[in-house]
Amino acid sequence: MVGLDEATVTKRPYELEGGLVRLRAGRCPECGAVFCPARLVCDGCGHRGLDEILLAPRGTIYTFTQVHQSTPEFATPYDLVYVDFDEQVRVMLPCAGEETPRIGESVEIVLGRGPRLVEGEPEEGPQAVMVVKAGTERSDGNG
Amino acid sequence: MDEVFVIGAGMTPFGKHPDTTAAELGASAMLEALDDAGVALKDIEAAWVGSVFQGMAMGQRALGEGGLSGIPITNVENACSSGSTAIWDAALAIRAGAVDVALALGVEHLTGRFRGAFTPDESDVEAQRGLTMPSVYAMRAQRHFAQYGTNSEQLAAIAAKNKRNAVANPLAQFKKAVTVEEVLASRLIAAPLHLQECAPVSDGAAAVVLVSKRKRAELGASRAVRLAASVLKSGRAEVGLKDMTVEDLTWRAAEAAYEQSGLAPSDVRFAEVHDCFSIAEALRVEGLGLFPHGEYPGRVVKGEADLDGRLPVNGSGGLLGKGHPLGATGVAQVVEVVRQLRGEAGARQIPGARVGLAHCRGGKAQGVEGTACTVNILTV
Ligand SMILES: [Zn+2]
Repeated sequence: MVGLDEATVTKRPYELEGGLVRLRAGRCPECGAVFCPARLVCDGCGHRGLDEILLAPRGTIYTFTQVHQSTPEFATPYDLVYVDFDEQVRVMLPCAGEETPRIGESVEIVLGRGPRLVEGEPEEGPQAVMVVKAGTERSDGNG
Repeated sequence: MDEVFVIGAGMTPFGKHPDTTAAELGASAMLEALDDAGVALKDIEAAWVGSVFQGMAMGQRALGEGGLSGIPITNVENACSSGSTAIWDAALAIRAGAVDVALALGVEHLTGRFRGAFTPDESDVEAQRGLTMPSVYAMRAQRHFAQYGTNSEQLAAIAAKNKRNAVANPLAQFKKAVTVEEVLASRLIAAPLHLQECAPVSDGAAAVVLVSKRKRAELGASRAVRLAASVLKSGRAEVGLKDMTVEDLTWRAAEAAYEQSGLAPSDVRFAEVHDCFSIAEALRVEGLGLFPHGEYPGRVVKGEADLDGRLPVNGSGGLLGKGHPLGATGVAQVVEVVRQLRGEAGARQIPGARVGLAHCRGGKAQGVEGTACTVNILTV
């Protein structure tokens, strides 16, 4: 099975650095396209195998919404944003904080409970990654 | 390649049918299409059946209910484009000369099956983080607002137009017109989209009978409508930071359909497009090249997309007014175009219409622009 033993598929999807989250992504060594999460094959050019990179722990809000109706696993309302990273990749994440997110705003990537209601779920894994406005004070070293 | 004609169309009322099964809905639409075409069960050589959440072998269940078995039946799942993909498949088989008479059916029974909002598949990382279908379109709407000065009143006008059109469609789920103010007063689903700007949960089925040129002549089908183009595309992988107000997927399908039919956007007299949300209609119509990019919501307010406007859009009521039984939606759009081109659309008839376009696009998966998109162009 081509590529399925690649560690990038199952590894924790981020690294923590100074309380901030650096998302694990894949960059194509052939054409430079970046995918987050990484894929087995580059969809830009078909190259097999991407180089693992960690995205910067901050980005810019491309767009946003406040969700008022969702599935039963989520507590509404909650904010979602698409974040643009300098690495030329866009990732959708929940956004913490009282104020409505704004297009063009700088955000930092952190770990948090997020809008999920599932009991006993560890505060890590893809669903625990979220964004806060840049400069938001964090209560502890882990966000 | 052989030419393809639609000679029969059938469709159940869309709405809540708690006491009817999906198989019964599908059989009903099929039998109406066969009667409309003037062909018998034994004339159908192959069938393609689109549905999304109906479980195994929906096609065999529906066709069996209607007395049709033994022929090749293919079940098609392609998100909201499942039904229109069934049409594409059937047309392909006729074009290839493999069959002369084919059935395309779309069927969906959703009442009681869903709570809350539709989401991508549960394995999808964005769904795990809280993404719902309305929120995808809400975020695209925010970009349309920021880039083109579009506002909530303009989007509400799209919903009000389609619900108004639905009143003239006896098969539509919604029977009552709503004002822009009423749309804006309905509760928020994902800001800036309100309940009345989101397609409802619906049950229903629609079917068309497609034939080759030879078979059409043999049957002397005088009410036949030509399927001048049938195109299916899937969304490309998202590489880089794309403009989310631009529908590359819709444009690639449309461009191929214009080329296949030898027609231009300016030849299209009316369109049925995939308005799963108010903003979606704008993104589709602009992506199809039917209105200038960024301008559609403002043009709707001026009445340009009304039934008596420059280019009527979703005269059937669209998904917002007629209803959205996922697998049936794409077929129902083609049923509407066929009825308009035959002059059988009753109170919503567009006079002298000779070219109609049906656009269906649905689904969401992380990392691709969209899942499936069809464009069918029909002419008389
Ligand atoms: Zn590449």
